[in-house]
Amino acid sequence: MLNKPTAPIRERLIESERLMEETGCYDGITSLSLRNEDPLKFETLHTKLRAYCVSAREMARRISASPGVREVGEMVVAIYTPEGDAIALSNGIMVHVHTMSRFIKWMIRNGYEENPGIRDGDIFANNDAFIGTVQVPDVMDVMPIYHGDTLVGWAGAVCHELEAGGITPGGDVALAQERFTEGLFVCAEKVGENDELRRDYVIRCERNLRMPIYWVLDEKAKVASCIDMRESVKALIDEIGLDYWLKVSKEFIEEGRRAQLARTRQLTVPGKYRGHTFYGHVTAGKPGYQPLGDPDWLYNIPIEMEVGLDGKITMDFEGTQPWGYHSMNCTPAGMDGGMFVTLTQHMNFEGLVNDGAWMATELKLPHGTWTNPDNEMVATATSWALLLPAYGVFQRLLSRAFLGRGFVEEAFVGQVNSPMIEMGGMSQYGTPFGMAHFECAAAGSGALAIKDGLDTAYVGWNPESDMGNIEIWEQNMPMLYIGRSIVPNSGGAGKYRGGCAFESTWLINKTDHLRLVTSEHSSRVFDNGGMCGGYPAPTCQKHRAVRNSNVFELAEHGKPIAHAPGRNPHHSDFEVRFEGEFELVEGPYITAPHKSGDIFSHSYNGGGGYGDVLERDPVKTAWDVENGFLTKEAAASVFGIALADDAEGFPVADVEATERLRKRKRAERLEKAVPVSQWMAEQRERVQQADFAPEVRKMYASAMKLSPRFTREFVEFWDLPEGFRYDG
Amino acid sequence: MTSYSKEVIADLVSGKLPWPQTRRIMSAYKDDDRFFKYIQVLQDRVGWSDPILLPVSDHLFICDSAEGRVTKCECGHSFGDYRRNWKLAASIIVRDTEEALREIYPNSDIPDPQWMEIREFICPECGTLHEVEAAAPGYPVVHDFEPDLEGFYREWLGRPLE
Ligand SMILES: [Zn+2]
Repeated sequence: MLNKPTAPIRERLIESERLMEETGCYDGITSLSLRNEDPLKFETLHTKLRAYCVSAREMARRISASPGVREVGEMVVAIYTPEGDAIALSNGIMVHVHTMSRFIKWMIRNGYEENPGIRDGDIFANNDAFIGTVQVPDVMDVMPIYHGDTLVGWAGAVCHELEAGGITPGGDVALAQERFTEGLFVCAEKVGENDELRRDYVIRCERNLRMPIYWVLDEKAKVASCIDMRESVKALIDEIGLDYWLKVSKEFIEEGRRAQLARTRQLTVPGKYRGHTFYGHVTAGKPGYQPLGDPDWLYNIPIEMEVGLDGKITMDFEGTQPWGYHSMNCTPAGMDGGMFVTLTQHMNFEGLVNDGAWMATELKLPHGTWTNPDNEMVATATSWALLLPAYGVFQRLLSRAFLGRGFVEEAFVGQVNSPMIEMGGMSQYGTPFGMAHFECAAAGSGALAIKDGLDTAYVGWNPESDMGNIEIWEQNMPMLYIGRSIVPNSGGAGKYRGGCAFESTWLINKTDHLRLVTSEHSSRVFDNGGMCGGYPAPTCQKHRAVRNSNVFELAEHGKPIAHAPGRNPHHSDFEVRFEGEFELVEGPYITAPHKSGDIFSHSYNGGGGYGDVLERDPVKTAWDVENGFLTKEAAASVFGIALADDAEGFPVADVEATERLRKRKRAERLEKAVPVSQWMAEQRERVQQADFAPEVRKMYASAMKLSPRFTREFVEFWDLPEGFRYDG
Repeated sequence: MTSYSKEVIADLVSGKLPWPQTRRIMSAYKDDDRFFKYIQVLQDRVGWSDPILLPVSDHLFICDSAEGRVTKCECGHSFGDYRRNWKLAASIIVRDTEEALREIYPNSDIPDPQWMEIREFICPECGTLHEVEAAAPGYPVVHDFEPDLEGFYREWLGRPLE
C-alpha cells in the first residue's frame, strides 16, 4: 500500500473540480446514464433520499428545547457526496444547503483527513461564516457516512440558535462590531466521536452561553438527525450496491444542474435586469457602540442580474458599500445561502433541489464590500439585515422575467427585512436567560402580479413561515403579550397591495432586569421596493416603549389600556392611555434594561405593492378597511377609493364617487409631473455640488472608491466632467 | 403536456381566475405554450395593432411599430427605441419632502427625505404610474430591463425575429 494517497478525499475533490472545469458538467458526468437506463428507479431513489431528510428533521425537532426549532422550524438537514456536494435536503431553512457544503469542503481542503482525522462516528461542528455558514447563531453539525472503509457521503444539519453568547443577548448579536464580540465560535471543530458529543465541548457551551439548554439540546437533535440519515443511506446502499450509490448520487446533482438551466429557459427571458435597494444604519449616541467607524451609514445595494441564453443566472453586486464595523457584513457562504433559499422558492419548487441548482448560477461579489469582506475579523451576526433586502431585489428581478414570459402567477414582489428582538437578563423564573424572539418568521410578503401579498405569513429565509404560539413564547421570556395585531397600511400600496405585517405589544413582567435589543430593521430609508407602479412597504418603523407605566394601576381599576401603538405616528396610543416615561427610538433598540411594568412594542414588516394604485379593486379595499389591513384615510388619499358606511356602519365602496376621485387624481398626476429630462437637468446642479446629507455623500464616495463601473455609470448618467469623484 | 385555453390565461392575467384554479396552475408543471397565448391575450387587450413582442411591465410592452421596435404604453404612447431606458422619456413626480411622502404613508414612520426620495414614473399621455423607485437623492435612474430580444426569439422560442 505504498502508493496509497494520504488524503484521498482531498484528491477526489480536486479531481471533481477539474472534471467540472473540463466538461462543464458536474464531476464530468456528461450523460445521465442511470437515469436513462431506469428512470423510475432513479426518481424513486431521489424521492427516497428526500424522505430520509424530511423525516430526520421532523424527528430531531422533537428533541430540541428551543422554540425556534420546535415551534417555527429553524432547522434544515441534508445528505452530501464525499466531496461535500448536496444531493438531497429537507424542508426548512434551505439557506444552509450550500453553506454546509462549503464547511465540508473547507475541512477536506485543510487536511482534516490527516489531522484531526475523519472517522466513522465523528461529529464536526461549525458556526464560522468564513468557513461556511451565514451568521454566528447558525450552528451546523456534519457526520461522515462510511460503508465499510469507504467514505460514501456526509449527513449534515443546521439549527438557528436562539442564544450565541455575544456582547448582546440572543443569536443575531446586534451590537457586535468585530468577530470578537459575536459570541461562541466553533470553527470546523471535531466535537464528538463514536456518535457522541464530547463532554468537554458541552461544558464549553454550558459556560459560554446565556441559555445553553437551547444550543446543547439542538446539538443533540442535529446529531440524532445525522445518525438517522446515515443509517438510512447505509441501508439503502446495502440494497442498491455501493457502485450504484456512488454513481447515482452524482447523477442527481448533474440532473439538478441541468434542471435549473432548463427551468430558467422555460420561465424567464434572457437579458440584463437591474434593481437596487437601500438600508439605513443609525447608531449615533447609542450606548455600547465603539467609535470604530461612522456611526450612521447609508447602504446602497445595486444588483445586475444576467440571464444567459444557456439558462445560467449571474448576479453582480458591483457598486455596493464596503464592509463595516457592525454585524451586518456577509460572507460569500451567506450570499450563497440567500441565493439558494430564493431559488428554492421561485424556481425549484418541486422539492428535488440540490447543489446542482447552485452550480447553474454565479454570484459576483466584489472584494472588500459587505458581500465579500477582505478582512476575516469582521462581524456577520446580523448579515440578514442586508441579505434580505438584497434578495428581495433578486425576487423582483426574477419576477420581471416571469412577467415577460407570461408566468404572471409566479411574479412576486418578494421579501423585506424581518426585524428581530433579542433579549436576556433575569427570567420570570428568577434565572439568567437569553433568547431571540422568532415570531418575526411571519412577516407580510410582497404582492403578486395577480393578487395581494400574504399577510403575516412570509419570510424570505424560511419557506415555511410560522410566528409560533403566544403561549409558548410567554413560557420562555419575562414578557406577556397585551397585543398582537395587524399593522394597517404596512403592505406597500398598489393595484395589488403588499401583505401586511403584525406588531406585538408586551408588558414586561416578573423581572427587574430585561435587556431588549433589536436588529435587521432599516432606518430613514425603506429597504424594499414595489413593482410595475407599486410602492415600497413602509419599513423604517421606530420603536415605542413606556418605562414605569401605570399599567398595573389601570388594570386594578379595570380601566382600558393600549394594546398597540396605534395609527398616529406623531402621538401613539401609549401616550393616550398610559402614564410613564415614553420612548421613541430610531435604529437598533439598545437601551438600559427594562423591568416589570414597562411596555414595549415591536412591529414587523409588510411587503411591496404591485401595479398602479388607481387600479385597485374598491370592493376589496372596503373589506381591507373593515378588517384593519388599510385605514380609511389611506383608501381615499393613496388609492383614490371613496368609501361610505352601510346601515350597520361597515365600509362599502362608492363606485361612482371612486371613479370621479380617480379621474381627478389622474389629472392631478399629469398636472404635477414633469418630464424626466427636465427633472434631471434640475438635479444635475445638486449632484455636481454634492448637495446631499453627509451620509448620502459618503455612500457615493465609498461606492466610487470600490467600483470604477459605478463611477463611470454615475458620471455618464449625470453628464459630469470626466474624472468627477466624491471625496469622503 | 400541460396547456390552458386562451380564456383561462386571460383570466389569470387579469387576476380574475378563481383562487383554487390559480393555485392548481401554480402547483402544476408549466404550460410550454404559454408565451404566445399570453401575447394574444395582451394584444386583444390593447387598443392598437402594432404586434407586441415582449411585455416589460404591467402596462408597458415592446412592440413592432412603424418607427421600429419601441416601448409602448397600453394607451398607445411610445417611449421610443426599446433599447433605451423608457423612464428617461417618461414624466416624473418626486416625493422628496415629508409632506409629499406622508400622502402615500399617512399612518407609518416615513423615510428621511434627505436620505431617500420616492420617484414615480408616469405616462405623459394617460397618467398611468408605470414604476416607482425608492432611491437616495442623486441616485441614477435604473434601467430595469434590457432583454436579449433577438436571442430570446431565435433560441428559446424557435421563431427568429424578422
Ligand atoms: Zn399611457
